[in-house]
Amino acid sequence: MTMIEVQQLKKSFGDLEVLKGVNFTVEPGEVVAIIGPSGSGKSTMLRSLIHLEEVNSGSILFQGQALVENGKYANANTIKKITSRMGMVFQHFNLFPHLTVQQNLELAPKAVKKESVADIRKRSEVILNKVGLLDKANVLPANLSGGQKQRVAIARALMLNPDILLFDEPTSALDPELTGEVLRVMQQLAQEKITMVVVTHEMNFARDVADRVIFMDKGEIAESGTPAQIFGNPQLDRTKAFLSRVEK
Amino acid sequence: MSVDYLLQIIGPILEGAKNTILLFLIAIVLSIPLGFGITLLANSSIKLLSWLAHTFIYITRGTPLLLQLLFFCFGLPMLPIIGDYLVFDRFVAAGLAFILNYAAYFAEIFRGGLLSIDKGQHEAAQVLGLSKWQTMTKVIVPQMIRVALPSLANESITLVKDTALLYAVAVPELLHFAQTAVNRDFTITPFVLAGIIYLLMTLVLTLLFKGLERRFKFE
Repeated sequence: MTMIEVQQLKKSFGDLEVLKGVNFTVEPGEVVAIIGPSGSGKSTMLRSLIHLEEVNSGSILFQGQALVENGKYANANTIKKITSRMGMVFQHFNLFPHLTVQQNLELAPKAVKKESVADIRKRSEVILNKVGLLDKANVLPANLSGGQKQRVAIARALMLNPDILLFDEPTSALDPELTGEVLRVMQQLAQEKITMVVVTHEMNFARDVADRVIFMDKGEIAESGTPAQIFGNPQLDRTKAFLSRVEK
Repeated sequence: MSVDYLLQIIGPILEGAKNTILLFLIAIVLSIPLGFGITLLANSSIKLLSWLAHTFIYITRGTPLLLQLLFFCFGLPMLPIIGDYLVFDRFVAAGLAFILNYAAYFAEIFRGGLLSIDKGQHEAAQVLGLSKWQTMTKVIVPQMIRVALPSLANESITLVKDTALLYAVAVPELLHFAQTAVNRDFTITPFVLAGIIYLLMTLVLTLLFKGLERRFKFE
């Protein structure tokens, strides 16, 4: 079943129309990279998928179930149920600064109380090991580098076994030499066939890891296709102009 | 300043200090949660509640504590109709005034603390599926306390000293006993002693809050 189906999504902040009728789908196991200039609406679009923004009209279906249909939102319970299947990684990590790395991972699973504390502990160790930070389990976020923080944030999102992971410019707040460690973790997730939607400025990631690239400009999807199509043979002038700007 | 004299007055002065400490403890224990409640009301999306909370804060901060004390001790019983039911023990009435006054200040401190917390913390809690209550208790409040601690310490120390205002409504406390002794014995020793006792109380608070700040340091 299609993981996410977005139809005619529109949203305005006051007079400013940031989404002007966006349509796209994400299939299970797919990695979709969303690229485009600042202010093109890519973050707003991503954030509406997990209900951090409310759209004005259009539909978002998650595994066939409507989060919002023709601008009308589902009830609070349904929204919570749908968004609980998604994970989100933010540009600025948004780790909980008063909790250790491991407590950051375990807070949500303990709060939703679906597993025993021992199971949660075991899984948090497995996942920390996966992102290479098991030795930092008892460290507070303030003592981590940006790259480490973002890997913890990814681990935290994985703790809830989401069906899809959303990334909002996950490497934009990092020093250039730290982006690699985060991208490697994301690449590993892609190989495990975890469905991902990634808003990114990392063209190399979009080219090498994504199955599909969506180029957004001025609140709409200007062009989309495989990385080979978008990077090798862009159809529109504005796509070409954007790519030549960022690929210097 | 003989030792004999000190021993003679220390008893009554400590007796007065008991009231001071009692008022301090009652006021701090009740006004902090009340203040937090008022902060939540002030942030409420229900306009009327928010307006009420802000009005309460405005009135309470905008008038002298001494006036409020006099009002609670002597003014309430004079209100038409309900006045007869508002005759409290003097200490209780004064305590009430202190609790409300300090709650208003604490509310503003907490409001500042809440404002200082990045929107991203709420968003992270939301996408992780935490309820509003869990977000508040496990994510927001612990961070708010860290931000609020220095101001809380400041207000608490002010509260210790403000207890001396009980003098104006004739509730015997530390300063009252010192003043009595000064008048009776014609020496300033009791004032010095009272000053030292205030300093000791604020010292305890200073150390306590330093300890708390260390515990709530997230690095």
